[in-house]
Amino acid sequence: MTAVFPSEEWLKELETKLNTDKKYGDIAKNWEGDIFIIIEPKGNLTEGLTFYLDLWHGACRKVEFKPDASSRPTPTFTLTANYDDIKDIMTGKLNPMTAMMTMKLKVKGNMGYMMRNVPTVLDFVRCAQEVTKEIL
Amino acid sequence: MQPILKIDLTTGKTEEYVIPQEWERDFLGGASLAARILYSSLTKELDPLSPESPLLFMNGPLSGTAGPTTGRFVVCGKSPATGLWAESNAGGFWGPELRGTGYDGLWITGKAESPVYLWLNEGRLEVRDGAGVWGKDIYQTQDFVKEEIGVKGAHVAVIGQAGERGVLYASIACDHGRMAGRTGLGAVMGAKKLKAIAVHGTKKIPLVHADRYAALRSEANRALKQDNEAKILHELGTAGGANYMEYMGQMPSKYYHQGSFSNVDNVSGAKMAETILTGQSACHACVIACGRVVKLDDGAKRKGPEYETVAGFGPNLLVDNLEEVVRLGELCDRYGMDVISTANTIGLAFHLFEMGKVTVQDTGGLELKWGGFMAARQLVHQIARREGIGEVMSKGSRQFGRAFGAEDEAVQVNGLETAYHDPRGVSGMALSYATSPRGACHNQSDYFFADWGHTYEKIGITYFERHAQAEKAANVAKHQNWRTFFNAAVMCIFANVDPQMQVDLVNAACGLKWSLDDMMKSGERGWNLKRAINNRMGLTRANDKLPKVFLEPYKEGGAAGFVPDLPAMLDAYYDARGWDKESGKPSREKLVELGLGDVAEELWGEG
Repeated sequence: MTAVFPSEEWLKELETKLNTDKKYGDIAKNWEGDIFIIIEPKGNLTEGLTFYLDLWHGACRKVEFKPDASSRPTPTFTLTANYDDIKDIMTGKLNPMTAMMTMKLKVKGNMGYMMRNVPTVLDFVRCAQEVTKEIL
Repeated sequence: MQPILKIDLTTGKTEEYVIPQEWERDFLGGASLAARILYSSLTKELDPLSPESPLLFMNGPLSGTAGPTTGRFVVCGKSPATGLWAESNAGGFWGPELRGTGYDGLWITGKAESPVYLWLNEGRLEVRDGAGVWGKDIYQTQDFVKEEIGVKGAHVAVIGQAGERGVLYASIACDHGRMAGRTGLGAVMGAKKLKAIAVHGTKKIPLVHADRYAALRSEANRALKQDNEAKILHELGTAGGANYMEYMGQMPSKYYHQGSFSNVDNVSGAKMAETILTGQSACHACVIACGRVVKLDDGAKRKGPEYETVAGFGPNLLVDNLEEVVRLGELCDRYGMDVISTANTIGLAFHLFEMGKVTVQDTGGLELKWGGFMAARQLVHQIARREGIGEVMSKGSRQFGRAFGAEDEAVQVNGLETAYHDPRGVSGMALSYATSPRGACHNQSDYFFADWGHTYEKIGITYFERHAQAEKAANVAKHQNWRTFFNAAVMCIFANVDPQMQVDLVNAACGLKWSLDDMMKSGERGWNLKRAINNRMGLTRANDKLPKVFLEPYKEGGAAGFVPDLPAMLDAYYDARGWDKESGKPSREKLVELGLGDVAEELWGEG
């Protein structure tokens, strides 16, 4: 059974994907940082949603579904977007770089680290897209 | 817009020139308006270094208004490097200060008998003896002039020794290393024996709907401060994208012959931020503050390098020493030379040395080995002084290559050296370079950002994959129109401001009722007028070309195996532009559609 995005099952599938995808493992081998994702309600999503992923050296050490922001006060990056834009990224309709450069995806964190690791970020998105078969 | 002050340096006469209202409406300001004003004087026969050659410093209608990145001015004329249309803009504080004098432009012709500088204080002009400041570098010159005029708050646009000596890529500088670097207008200024222009003014800047403008500019600046790109530029400077550009094969190495540079991080904006950065510097009222302040081991704080300096003196020469890159950039700045052209021409010297076409006999014993920053430093000195091999190198890479039987090796278009954005990594830059009105320029359309994914849906600029070919040609043309609007408003291209906000700002400032279409049409009009100026000066479709190396694939890196299909791209581009494919001129119909009937008659004869 395929998990629907966004759901806890989907997040678990993404965790598995990140830990088994060879390409991601290679590209992200030097990545050290956790990501807090905030999805703002829009379209089919009526309530806001959060994801937490602890990414380390090409693997995903931990995920959390709907964590409270206060429980993760200093993530390496916080990414914020509304649901329609996230949905467009997940379905490949919206290029993630476009989302970032047009402020559909807001980024908070160490920009130096981000710019050194753009390929890792883009491959993380690829993995997320590949586990997204059904969507809310 | 306020009037322009015309100054004839031969006679000392001045005259106030009132800009025709319909030209302001059609061309807005800045470079586009300058093109309209100078249209009749920019002829094929005009020697850019002659007394008759005009030099027009222009503001835009938003200059000095504290709107988003509106602290810039532009200088226009005929380029001694290309023989074509010249424009180059700079930030700092000089443009806003000029506005305060009651003038929005200085139109300079003639030639002084001996070195002079101009002092425009609250609308009163003095031509002052410049003998005491001739020979000084750009920072010394500003200090000297400021001390001599003794007015706090004055700002000074200057040339360095390179402009005095006629280096064809000499720049005009102001404030802390803010450079109008491209197309060699510093040499035009030097040929007029004009060392500096000091301005000071306190007049209120004209805004038709001042309250509305104030509210809009606050909103725009607040949004800009939160923008992802602005944050990157603030934290890392313009070199913040270096790692990603290298990854994609956009950042050339070894004079455009190597598709990757594994030590790129040693010279990246991120590394700079972690090591030598001590602060940021900003142009007038800019919320981004992309300028770098760095400290080297001598303990002195100085300007840090921008991306083009990092790429040009870094990977381009296989140098991975950031401090040496800083020093090379500073040396160019002090002499008043464009870093893009200087580093490119030095890269060609290294390349020709490796090929055996340039030898130690030519260089006076200097070994030009990749990674050799000390040799690069010697070449900067020689170019600025026009000594030794520096004499021919001071004429730019095209003439330098030609002198050694290797013009094809020079990475330039129409005499302007390419910037460090390789079209094999980001294909849109193929058209940007080939069709820019001032040679291989990345600021007439920084299309590489669109190739990364920076779209503007409201004005029809969409996303095409970075290695797409002719299918993106119309998109490039739209992007050029958009940037031509920026260059008319004289705004920094780092202002990631929503297009609707842009047009709202212009409408509030100028009392216009433009739509987004009107704004884009104004950009298209400016682009076509500059093209027509170049056509009159001899440019044809044959000039829309790329350097040989861009048509040879890299073997390694993120752009390996790809080359742009320029003929197909150009055909599609000409279709999108409404240009004649045989002559390379804008069609009569296109010119008439844009309200340029007089230009159509001159290019095509009476219809």
